[in-house]
Amino acid sequence: MRIIVPIRQILDPRGFTVSPRHERIFINREEYIINPNDKNALEVALSLKDAGEAEVIVIAGGQARLDDALREAMAMGADAAYLLTDEVLAKTDAAGVAEALARGIEKIGDFDLIVVGQETLDTADAQLGPWLAEYLGVAQVGGVRQASISDGVLRVRRNWGAGYAEVEVALPALLTVASGANKPRYPHGGRIMAAYREWQVITWNSEDLGLTAADLAPLTQGRGRAFPPERTLGERLTGSPQDVAAELVQQLRLRRII
Amino acid sequence: MDLDYLQMLMGEEEVVVEEKGEGYRNIWVVAERAGDELVPVTLEMLNQARQLASTLGAYVMAVLLGGDEALAQELIYYGADKVFLCDDPALKDYALEPYAKALGDLFAEKMPEIVLFGAADVGSELAPRLARRLGTIVLTNCTGLTLDAAQRTLVCTMPAYGGEYSEVVAFSPEVHPQMVTVRPGAFGRPYRDEYRSAEVETVAVDLDGVQPRVKVLNVVAQVEREPVPLDKARIIVSAGRGMGDAEGFALVEKLAAALGGEVAGSRGAVDEGWIDEEKQVGMGGVTVRPDLYIACGISGAIQHYLGMEEAKFVVAVNADENAPILKVADVGIVGDAKEVIPAIIEALGA
Repeated sequence: MRIIVPIRQILDPRGFTVSPRHERIFINREEYIINPNDKNALEVALSLKDAGEAEVIVIAGGQARLDDALREAMAMGADAAYLLTDEVLAKTDAAGVAEALARGIEKIGDFDLIVVGQETLDTADAQLGPWLAEYLGVAQVGGVRQASISDGVLRVRRNWGAGYAEVEVALPALLTVASGANKPRYPHGGRIMAAYREWQVITWNSEDLGLTAADLAPLTQGRGRAFPPERTLGERLTGSPQDVAAELVQQLRLRRII
Repeated sequence: MDLDYLQMLMGEEEVVVEEKGEGYRNIWVVAERAGDELVPVTLEMLNQARQLASTLGAYVMAVLLGGDEALAQELIYYGADKVFLCDDPALKDYALEPYAKALGDLFAEKMPEIVLFGAADVGSELAPRLARRLGTIVLTNCTGLTLDAAQRTLVCTMPAYGGEYSEVVAFSPEVHPQMVTVRPGAFGRPYRDEYRSAEVETVAVDLDGVQPRVKVLNVVAQVEREPVPLDKARIIVSAGRGMGDAEGFALVEKLAAALGGEVAGSRGAVDEGWIDEEKQVGMGGVTVRPDLYIACGISGAIQHYLGMEEAKFVVAVNADENAPILKVADVGIVGDAKEVIPAIIEALGA
């Protein structure tokens, strides 16, 4: 069985501080980590591999620095890695990366299962999983917490409302894994050296994928950042209980606390 | 003139017409329901859609899959200018393939300019899938939506790193329809106006050959939320002697449940026997660092303060305007906690 896991990379939040007062982010140390939710997805794939015969392939598209993320994924247990990068791919947006990943997955071919993290921590982007499923024409289950396979049928526990649902789906299929669904394993001591020194990451450029700069033109325009209101100490709310309650709830929502 | 050149000119002209996105009109809200009820994010989307619609000069269209006439009426009361109701029995329970087919066909025919989905279970699965089907993209988990009037595009705010700050992104003008998913709780609920009236159009859907590919075995509606240890809790509602009696303390428990947070207490609450000693915040108890700490009827003596001073945001409700807790709170409310807390629960819409 072949399982493919797309990997994304984000700026390590331990390397920067956010200052609402200056409306700026101060980067102390520019380092990148695997998007935590994608590690949850990789863990689902690797635990399926532990339970039976499976080959786990990781794939990433965008900037050349993704090489690092793919090697870490191999150290965690992935069997092979594909990196889609060149000057054009490095400059595209999330939609362009999705297009590249879809072409890359098609080119790898013969997959039974694709496992994707539901969203990215840096931009709350939750588009990739279902978008790929539509592109590849496969069944899809979202909000996944656990998965197991028997007789070619995938059994999945997914988030559903305030509870959960148990569902079955035939392969090939795509799962998007809920954030925090599991505790991803650490890179395996014996694999780390090999993953960083010996094993190959196969690299494809946009031409290999049949993509041109026009195909990858960004469909969105960045408009900067917004910051929560600065903390003000000792504000008093006055008025009727209904008025102060409404004001309080609005403030908490505005600050994204609830 | 060279014929090829002429054809090239004509070809170019065609492309320009396409790029203007002519024919794409109105703001559509995809209603999400849980059984016979609309989920809250649906109402919140209608509220925001109304505001965008008046700036844009557009109508708010709602689409309801598998519901009935009465539920369609609710959508009108909450702000829809028209409801498209697909009441095919195959759409009664959610299944991705029939839902995607019904919406895909409808959008291809009606050409919405903007489509809002809730970033809940159903909307999160459907929106990106439909975006791909319609050759567009979706911006997900939006907590703010405004318009760039000059280029007639949506400007979306998305929480970064769990809300430390937000990324602001606009659609490029050539993207049609512009699709987003809206995070639950980001917008207020609209007023339910029973005087509003509008048309409900029943639409037939062609589900020939469309079979659900995911089989639901069983659904567990509610899981008992496992208590989070206080020192790891994100939201804590804490009670003090000022809550008066066990009935007052029950209000604090209710507020914690409404916020999805944990209940704690001061020494006073423990002494009154309302809460166990291991839930005591302060010296001799637990030190907490939540994102939100709501102190109800707690005066805020230094022993208590030392246990919660690292809370990111402190709200205090106290009847005594000289209570020390009000001096360290980010938001202080002077008033009877027994009146204020029920009002907060009401305002949360829980």
